[in-house]
Parts: sequence; C-alpha cells; structure tokens
Amino acid sequence: MKVEATATGKNVHPLLKVENLVKRYTKRSLAGTPEELLALDSVSFTISPGTTLAVVGESGSGKSTLANCLACLESPTSGNIWFEGKDIVKLEERACRQVRRQIQLIFQDPASSLNPRWSAFEVLVEPLILQRKFNREEIKKRVNYWLGRVGLSQDIVGRSPMELSGGQRQRLAIARALTLEPKLLILDEALSALDCSVQAQIANLLMELQGSLGMTYLFITHDLAMAAHFADEIAVMDRGRIVEQGPPNKIFIQPEQETTRRLLAAVPRIGRGDQSALER
Amino acid sequence: MRVRRVLTRWLVTLGVLHGIVGFAGFFAPYDPVEQDRKSPYLPPMRFHLIDGQGHFHARPFVYALKLREGSFDRYVENTTEPQPVRFFMKGARYRLLGFLPCRRHLFGLENTRIYLLGTDAYGRDQLSRLLFGGQVSLLAGLLGAGITLSIGLCIGAVAGSFGGWRDSLLMRLAELFMALPWLYVLFAIRAFLPLAVSPLRAFFLIITVIGIVGWARPARLVRGVVLSAKERDFVRAARGFGATHGYLFRRHILPETSSVLLTQAAILIPQYVLAEMTLSFLGLGVPEPVPSWGNLLSSLQQYSVLVSYWWIYLPALAMVPFFLGYLGLASSLQERGAAYKIESRIWGI
Repeated sequence: MKVEATATGKNVHPLLKVENLVKRYTKRSLAGTPEELLALDSVSFTISPGTTLAVVGESGSGKSTLANCLACLESPTSGNIWFEGKDIVKLEERACRQVRRQIQLIFQDPASSLNPRWSAFEVLVEPLILQRKFNREEIKKRVNYWLGRVGLSQDIVGRSPMELSGGQRQRLAIARALTLEPKLLILDEALSALDCSVQAQIANLLMELQGSLGMTYLFITHDLAMAAHFADEIAVMDRGRIVEQGPPNKIFIQPEQETTRRLLAAVPRIGRGDQSALER
Repeated sequence: MRVRRVLTRWLVTLGVLHGIVGFAGFFAPYDPVEQDRKSPYLPPMRFHLIDGQGHFHARPFVYALKLREGSFDRYVENTTEPQPVRFFMKGARYRLLGFLPCRRHLFGLENTRIYLLGTDAYGRDQLSRLLFGGQVSLLAGLLGAGITLSIGLCIGAVAGSFGGWRDSLLMRLAELFMALPWLYVLFAIRAFLPLAVSPLRAFFLIITVIGIVGWARPARLVRGVVLSAKERDFVRAARGFGATHGYLFRRHILPETSSVLLTQAAILIPQYVLAEMTLSFLGLGVPEPVPSWGNLLSSLQQYSVLVSYWWIYLPALAMVPFFLGYLGLASSLQERGAAYKIESRIWGI
C-alpha cells in the first residue's frame, strides 16, 4: 500500500482510505422518469490511525450517507473504501460482519439507538454476546470496565434506557460501541442532541479515550466550532462533495469556499460586538 | 399509568366473562341438550321475595309455570307453591373444563325445573345453552384469531424482511383476499363437504376456514412494522455489532410486532365469534343439538318465533358485554401502543 503524507505530518499507513465514493439513490414513481439523487459525489479522503477527521456540512450534504457507507450499513454505488488495506466495499455478508465490528457508528439520537424494551445491561452486553467469545464472568468484567471508563455508575444497569438522561444514554451508546474495541469510531452528529455542558463532557471523554487507547475518530457534525475543538483535520461537504479540506487553522483563517464561509458565519460568538466576522 | 389501569380493568372484565363461560357446567343448572317436552317456549321465570299472602321470604323463590288451559304456549304461574332456590346443589353430571367429572351446580330447584332465560322449542334451558354455546363460539373466535395471526405474522414478516418480488407478490395476494366476498366463498367451501359432518369436524372446519380467511390485514400491519423496525437505529447498531439477519429478526424486530398483534387479536376475536354465529345461524356451523350462539339464534329464522317469543333474542343481548370488553381492550391496547413512536406511524396507514 502507498504511504501517504497526512495533515498531521506523520508518514503512516492510513487506517481508512476512501476513493471516489459515489452513492446514488433512485426514486421510482408510477409515472415519468425515475428521479436520481446523488448523495455522495466522488468523495475521497484518508484518515491516519489515532487522529480525528471532522466532516462538516449543512444538513442534506451527504454526511450521514457517508457514515452509513463507511460502517458497512449501506453499499455505495461505486468507489472504494480501504480499511487497513482491505477493500470493504465488495465483501460478502459474512466477511462484512467481521469488518462492521471494527468500525462502530454512534448515532445522533441515543434514545433511538438503544432498544427501549431492554435494560441498560442488556443493551450493553449485546455486542459481547454477539461475539460469542466470552463467558458470563468476562462479560460482567468488561461491562463494568467500560461503564467506569465512560463515567457511568454501575447501578444504572438495571434501568431502561428511557429512564436515563440524554448524556447518560449517549455515554451508554459509546460504552456499548467501545466494548468491541473498534479501530474506528464514527460519530454521526453524536453530540448535537445534547446540551452544551454534556457536549463538552462527552467531547472531553472522547479526547481522553483517544489519548489512552489511540482511537481514530470520524467526527460528523454541522458545528464547526466543535469540529475545530476536536479534529486534526476538517473536510467540508456540500451537496455530496468534499469542497475543502485542511487543518482547522487553515479552514478557520483562510476559508476558500463559500460553503465554508457560510458555516463559519453560523458559529455563535459570545462577547464580541463586531459583526465583521460574519460579513467576511 | 392511567392507560395501564384501564387495560387491567378490561382484562379483568373479560377474564370474569370468560370464566363464567369456561365453567359453564357449574353456572348452568342443566345439561344443554336435555329436553323438557312438556314446556316448550316457556318464558323466563322471575325471582320473588314476597309470596301471594304477603309473607317475606329471605331465600328467593320462583313459581313453577304450567300451560294455560286450551293453549300450547301460554303459561301461568302456580302461585300456591313457592319453589325456593337452592344453591350449590347436586344435579346433572358434567365435566368441569372438559375433564373434571362434577355434579355441583350454582343453583337449582328441588322439585321442578328452573328456567331463568326461558326454554326453546324442545324445552331446553336457554341459560344452560347460552353458557355452553359460549364455549363453542368463543373457542372458535380465539382459535380462529390465533390461526389468522400466525399466518399474518409469517406472511407479513416474510414480505417485510425480504422485500422485492416476494413482497409485491404477497401484498397483491393480500389485496385479492381482502376483495373476496367471504360469506359466499364459505358457502362454496361448505358445498364441497358431505351434508352431515360430526360436530367436532364441523367445528374445526369453521375454525380453519375463518382463520385462513382473515390473514391479509394482520399481514399488512406486520409488514409495516417490520419495514420501519428494520430502519430503526438500534437495529442498525446491532447490525454494526455483526448481528445476523436471524438474530435481528428474533431479538429486535419480532418484539416490535407484539403490540400490533395484540391489538389485532382484540379486534379479530369478536369478529370471528360473529362469523361463527353467522355461519351457525345459517346452518353451516356446528350442527344441532350442540349449542353455539349462532344455533341458539337460528330459530329466529321462523317468523312465528320472531314475533312471539322475545326471550329467544336474549342470547344476542348476552354477547354485548363480550364484544364491548374486546373493543375496550383493543382501544386501550392501541393507546398503549401509540406510546411507541413507530406504532403510531403504523396506525396512520
């Protein structure tokens, strides 16, 4: 595999390399020609291990489709996704299941990503049970470890996810994904449903986990400020394409594209009277 | 919480009603096929507490009825002899719940017979026939609904999970089934069978036919639930953990269908009881002398009975609490189901 120079300046094998990814949806109606929607229009990027790439864009720009394609939950129309040097696009179902464990997706709304009929414990052990590698003792040990790691107390395990707060639910979802020890964690607007203080707590938790476990994140958001706080590199998406890509500093100081400027203008600023930033 | 209380109330009501029918042998004073040829079309007897002399009796009593001179169906009360009602007395043999041999009845008379809902053309006790008939009709409703829901669940699950041509084929078939005029199809099916069939065979035939007829609606509802459940985040998350399709269906999708199935059951059971009644009323159901609610009402086909003996209508009135109970149950189940987001979407269909 080719060695690529990434934004962090280290020469390493990329963990994930996406080449000319295209996803096209066709809407068939009874009369007339089928309508086509190009959700992803030849998207290419790479992520090095242990770094964070933030994908920012307005809603409808194809961010979530990208997340689903990368997590093997949808198959792209064309293009390649190289994960640890393997092309995961054309894998058959059985092999796909193996890859899916390595790439975990955290959803925007933790209320819907946790089965409301189950208890927090059942939710948490589901990935471990599906692996069929662990006995009861080991499962309990792992669950307790990850609960502690994401800062949840152990007495929540008997409750239903519906009885937990938004922050607790998202921590639970993250803990559940981490029990599989994935190499890549995709956070699809994972923080946007939470209020500010909880957002900051979970962002710090994720950064701390990255430091200690060497996690790689693909952080999908519409919030440029959060992306800048978090990411080593930012990719800006607009209507299915990556229009601009670079380190946060560059994106913030010298945005080249209109889309980026619009997103920057939307970032709320506190305590500054001048409007120049918005008019830039 | 409130929904739950209402649900419990309906369940208890239905439980009591079904209990009475289930223990028909105990609550009914007589055997449902036992005839009393001396008293055909006897009107319902009334309980009394005060006799002709103005004496008060603590134990309720009835007056025996005897035919009026020169009449064949007009009765007069024999007010000279009050017949006190006895409770928990020994009477006709029966099998409790179909297997426990027993002789105790809730009430009865020492010397003559008691007919609280009157008698039919053969002098059979209407109350006993109503209670025993309920066993046949309600069982037909319950089993028929069970068959329908099993078929509907299987077909709906296949259509929803596989999609594609299987889905289209099954859903067009469902539309066809919903468009058929079912009563006449049942006549046609009955025409293929011999004239005289044993009661048991007739019973299972009815159940099978009405059970198979109705699969289309539950199948469509289950398909809708499966389709939307497949796209829910927690199902996608489980796919991300490497779950197989079988696991996803068993653990995540199937439980989602439960509330739709329960609501459908509460709607289908009374419908199927009514279907059994219609068939028996027309003489296509369980043959005489076995009582069923449809058989009880079938004598109303004669105009003379229709206008002369009002108590023959009473079985129809007795069904009202059952149907009301099931409808109440269905609506509170639906209300509970609406608490989940996806089911409320299904009901929008």
